[in-house]
Amino acid sequence: MSASLLFKPSRLVAVTVEGETRQMPEGMMLASALAATGLRVLRRSPRTGAPRGAFCLMGACQECAIHVDGALAQACMTPVREGMQIELRGAR
Amino acid sequence: MSRAFDLVVVGGGIHGCTAALFAARGGLSVALIERGALCREASGVNAGTLTMQMTRVALIPYALRAHAMWADAPNWLGHDVGVVVCDGLSLAFTEHEEALLADRAGKRREAGAPIELITADQAKQVEPGLGPGVRLAGYCKVDGFANAYLTGVAFRKALLEAGVTLMERTEASGIDPLGGGYAVKTTTGAVRGRKLLIAGGVWIEPMLGWLGVRLPIKVLVNQLVVTERQRPVMRTVLGIASGLLSLKQYPHGTTVIGGGWQGEGDRDRGGVALLPDRLIGNVRLACHAIPALAEARIARAWAGLEAETADALPAVGPIPGHPDAYVCGSVHSGYTSGLYIARLLADRILDREPELPLFPIDRLLAVTETA
Amino acid sequence: MNRVPGSSDVSSVDVIVIGAGPAGAEAAIGAAEGGLAVTLLDEQGASGGQVWRAPVGGYPGKRDPEAAAGAALRARLQASAVRAAFGHRVWSVVRDDSPDGLTPGFRVDAVGPHGNLSLRAPALVLATGAHERVVPFPGWTLPGVVGLAAATVLLKSHGLAPGRRVVVAGCGPLLLAVAAGLVKAGVEVPAVADLSRRFDWLARMPAVLGRPALAARGAGWCARAALSGARMLSGHGVRRAEGPEGVERVVLGPVDAQGRALSGPEIAFEADALVVGHGLTTACEVTRMLRATHRFSRLYGGWIPEVDEHFETTVPGLFAIGDGAGIRGQQIASLAGRRVGLELWARAGHADVGGRRGSDFESVDRQLARARPFSDAMSGLMAQRAGQVADIAPDTVVCRCEDVTRAEIDTAIDQSAGSIDQLKHFTRCGMGPCQGRYCGDTVQELMALRLQEPREAVGQWTGRPPLRPVSLGELVGEFNYDDIPIPKPAPL
Repeated sequence: MSASLLFKPSRLVAVTVEGETRQMPEGMMLASALAATGLRVLRRSPRTGAPRGAFCLMGACQECAIHVDGALAQACMTPVREGMQIELRGAR
Repeated sequence: MSRAFDLVVVGGGIHGCTAALFAARGGLSVALIERGALCREASGVNAGTLTMQMTRVALIPYALRAHAMWADAPNWLGHDVGVVVCDGLSLAFTEHEEALLADRAGKRREAGAPIELITADQAKQVEPGLGPGVRLAGYCKVDGFANAYLTGVAFRKALLEAGVTLMERTEASGIDPLGGGYAVKTTTGAVRGRKLLIAGGVWIEPMLGWLGVRLPIKVLVNQLVVTERQRPVMRTVLGIASGLLSLKQYPHGTTVIGGGWQGEGDRDRGGVALLPDRLIGNVRLACHAIPALAEARIARAWAGLEAETADALPAVGPIPGHPDAYVCGSVHSGYTSGLYIARLLADRILDREPELPLFPIDRLLAVTETA
Repeated sequence: MNRVPGSSDVSSVDVIVIGAGPAGAEAAIGAAEGGLAVTLLDEQGASGGQVWRAPVGGYPGKRDPEAAAGAALRARLQASAVRAAFGHRVWSVVRDDSPDGLTPGFRVDAVGPHGNLSLRAPALVLATGAHERVVPFPGWTLPGVVGLAAATVLLKSHGLAPGRRVVVAGCGPLLLAVAAGLVKAGVEVPAVADLSRRFDWLARMPAVLGRPALAARGAGWCARAALSGARMLSGHGVRRAEGPEGVERVVLGPVDAQGRALSGPEIAFEADALVVGHGLTTACEVTRMLRATHRFSRLYGGWIPEVDEHFETTVPGLFAIGDGAGIRGQQIASLAGRRVGLELWARAGHADVGGRRGSDFESVDRQLARARPFSDAMSGLMAQRAGQVADIAPDTVVCRCEDVTRAEIDTAIDQSAGSIDQLKHFTRCGMGPCQGRYCGDTVQELMALRLQEPREAVGQWTGRPPLRPVSLGELVGEFNYDDIPIPKPAPL
């Protein structure tokens, strides 16, 4: 695990990532919460299948667009909520 | 500087490019003048639909032959332009649309298009992604789509290999009739040709004006939408009885939504604005037809200009009063039928008898006061 | 401040402001103080823009002047009469002038938590900010490579360090701030590589010293990074980042003033993250879409809308302020916002309360003039370096969305007849989800280099909606088929 939290979260909630349950800080932006649990590869590029992850962290580059509860959302602007179902369809 | 050719073509869209290509292969020396880049206007930004079910009845025989050319593009053009041949469905969701569909499908079938009317259940077999509410569908196996934005790259190589003198980034500013031929004035000097073809899309009106010919052309501003890549959600080309939806998903996963919803723009400024209520309306039709599209994101919307004559039929044939001068444009579903129609005109330019009738423009010319 | 619920009807207000950073929030507050009905839209959950991003998710944030300034701005906005619509992504802006053509107007559509929101106003203020520029190098797309501005978001707002051993590289004022921020957060920073040489900084010293407080902070950042043991390299850039599934190694090397690689020793560092940024580009998609006149300015970040002294563009009623109108930094952004607030108030014909208004204008204009030298100095450090773009290796991905390499772009340029739109069609650059925000500047520069034409001749891609990716589901909402206004069908 490389990315590291700079604070102690007040509340961790359970979310599902690709079928597995993970504990994540409630309200933290999803891209960073995933990185903090060691998950940086969010998708594969369309032609070469190269690994990709969050890049601009401000909603512009779209590298972090993943499926949250069935709909595409920019993970860098989506706060973690209990029970979220996260799929990395583009990384399979 | 001045150069002389057998044929000068003004306008590098699909009509100009096709006519130039076949004329060159027929032995003429050809110059093609295009003020921008090849197939960048309507020919590069349309929805790419190759359907009989949105084609004018009168154009069905042409569209069928053009469809065969599209499917065979790798052989005669040297590029497949991303063509996919697949089934097509035209859908009816209301009683009114059922009547409209039955009437239109019938007339198109009479004209030669292999369209049959099928039930909602049968339509669902053909297109599993269909939403509820379909009452009737027109089904045609001669359907499909091309990747319009590849048209330019497809033609460029073929034109150069055929020996066409390609003058991109060269704007024509006038045409002077000479003793036996025409001189097209451009930013880099005059280009002379024994024969002339005006194939300037929505700009054929001002171009014909250079020759003193008045042919009013209405400029349509068609809005289109493309989604980001998505898992496969449809396998056919879809339309609606009213003609106000065109829908297909490309092999790489993006879906293009069209149907002729109008934005704002004109000949001089291009497509200036896309109207949000009309984008929403168009996209609602798409989601009604294929509900799974709702999960995709819109990557981009754009507008393309389309030419329309007073009777919404093509302007293809000789220019009255100007020997060896021709016009080709305003075909309506010009991308679908354009390959064949422009090839017919090339035959005429090569002094051969075209297989099917052209669309002489005498019927369209505005009455002008004689000098 | 009131929250605006979603609605499919079009609501009319006096002023719409897009972007709630320092520029937009000031403009909104100022206009509302004058009694105008103002709606402020932002896709983030709170105001502050990038420079003053609010901490989220239980993270208390850093305790520094930026955090305090951001909190103060959010408090002022909260206390004002501005109706704020946060979490709203603006996807469409069209001109909506009065039928007689005499009164300008704009219609703005934005998707939010309750669906599509449509607004109309005679005045539209754009404060859309900037995007980070990262000039491609091999490995720049690896997970763990994030921007400099991205790293500031992580440190200020998300409460995350991008890695445990992080190389920091690039140029501009953010470089040292991020390096010091990482060190303070307990992260190991083995190297800080600045494209600029020491001379570049020295040449800007007079302007920098015009802001003594900031200059002192900058010196402090430099010292903190150096004292942590980081190798401070000037005149160095990233040669490549390496790793199978994420960055594991970063290789740096010397560069000239234009960013071109010089022959000289490469230095490799083991790292699990690389923070890299090469300046900022303006997010001027709206002015481009509305066909305002733009000019190209390498100093101010690329194509910027032309504005007069009131920050009004060539489209009447359309104002552009902040980094979205040219990279000039926070101080000028805040002042410009205040000025537009005053201007809108004046145009509404409000009484000049005790002659205050006139002197307010003068005061803001004076402050704007005083702020220019420092702002220009910082902008200069961030301007795109042509040599750096020229150096991009042929098999390096330039368009991240569509995986298009430099070599493919160069081949397509030769066939594109000088048309950047044709180039887009031949390569798919600019057709992906980021809509050309990250490759546009680089692609334009590559075209200018290859054709040996100025950037003005190369131009930009045509501005089109949606301004942000919106899902079809969000856009269509709930509807009945019979409600869809079907225009007249095509002739048979």
